[in-house]
Amino acid sequence: MKVTFKIFRFNPAVDSSPRWSVYEVEVDKSATILDALLKIKENIDPTLTLRYSCRQAVCGSCGMVINGKERLACFTRVLELNSNMITIEPLKNFPVIKDLVTDFTELFVKEKTIKPYIIRRDLEEMMKPVGMYLQKEEETLSYLQFAECIECGLCVSACPTVSIDRLFLTPMVLNKAYRFSIDPRDEGFEERLSIIDSEHGCWRCHFALACSNVCPKGIDPGKSIQYLKNMITSHSLLELFLGRTKKKKKTELLERPHISSEPEI
Amino acid sequence: MRESVKMLLHYITGVLILITGAIHVLSGHFEAYGLIKSAELYSINKLIFLASILYHALNGVRVVLIEFVPKRWFTDSITLVLIIIGLAFFIYTSLLIF
Ligand code: SF4
Ligand code: SF4
Ligand code: FES
Repeated sequence: MKVTFKIFRFNPAVDSSPRWSVYEVEVDKSATILDALLKIKENIDPTLTLRYSCRQAVCGSCGMVINGKERLACFTRVLELNSNMITIEPLKNFPVIKDLVTDFTELFVKEKTIKPYIIRRDLEEMMKPVGMYLQKEEETLSYLQFAECIECGLCVSACPTVSIDRLFLTPMVLNKAYRFSIDPRDEGFEERLSIIDSEHGCWRCHFALACSNVCPKGIDPGKSIQYLKNMITSHSLLELFLGRTKKKKKTELLERPHISSEPEI
Repeated sequence: MRESVKMLLHYITGVLILITGAIHVLSGHFEAYGLIKSAELYSINKLIFLASILYHALNGVRVVLIEFVPKRWFTDSITLVLIIIGLAFFIYTSLLIF
């Protein structure tokens, strides 16, 4: 089938304003948008710039706005769009590096501020692990949905708050903060509070759910942000009225003599 | 003050506006039946109503402004400016009530 692609083109180094390029491409029924873009790049216009890696919705590199909606190019078939005219733009709310490639630096800087990793109070134990923490199935299930994030940025592009408030932490980062804070092995919730419970933290989310609507992994960041608000409110109330916070149930440490920070020679 | 406390107060004052506003309107409407008999209680209700409306409205303005001007210095200073405006307005209006 013949499909017309209207693609956003912009090279900030040389162009004063963006333009559109139109290409007619013959694609087969099973082709993905990424296949079609690569066909254009290889056969029609080698200057077209895009980013991709895994081709299977794992690396999160190929996010773009396809026919008005944020999608992964490698995970969207031409057929499913049900149109002979396909418009492709770079993700919104990110600076454009060139054509369909956007700059995620600012997002990753924000992500770093919430300490997206398991934090333990016992530094000794963190630096010299002697075992692993057992998790019950229900403990894993409590955060599993929110742990699937591939950092594709689709939710960030779709979020109306990010488009106004550039300091807003973004749905991706807030989801990550929730994912680690509810992990039974983590003890870092209070360390993250000054960032997630700040003026540009989770309270700026208006629960429009545009983020959840586009997430290719079914994560529902809108939901995790509401859970995060709930977690912060209970923590604040306990602190305010009882002067203490809820202790997290400790996960059971399973000693493994072979896990040691000192490599055996 | 943490943002969660500010927002919690926002929700609480929203409910207070509804309750004290209803008491205010109803006691004015049914004055003859004397819903609130004491003039002091009537004034205290008005004062809570006023304080809640001021907090709720100014916090709403703060939220809109910090989203529209996403600069750290603005976020920090706008809260202080609005607290001063709110306090001045509250003191002036309470003097009028009592
Ligand atoms: S639910 Fe919150 S984070 Fe998600 S798009 Fe809406 S405002 Fe953004
Ligand atoms: S939450 Fe979903 S849409 Fe957002 S970055 Fe992660 S995988 Fe992508
Ligand atoms: S190429 Fe990796 S997610 Fe699309």
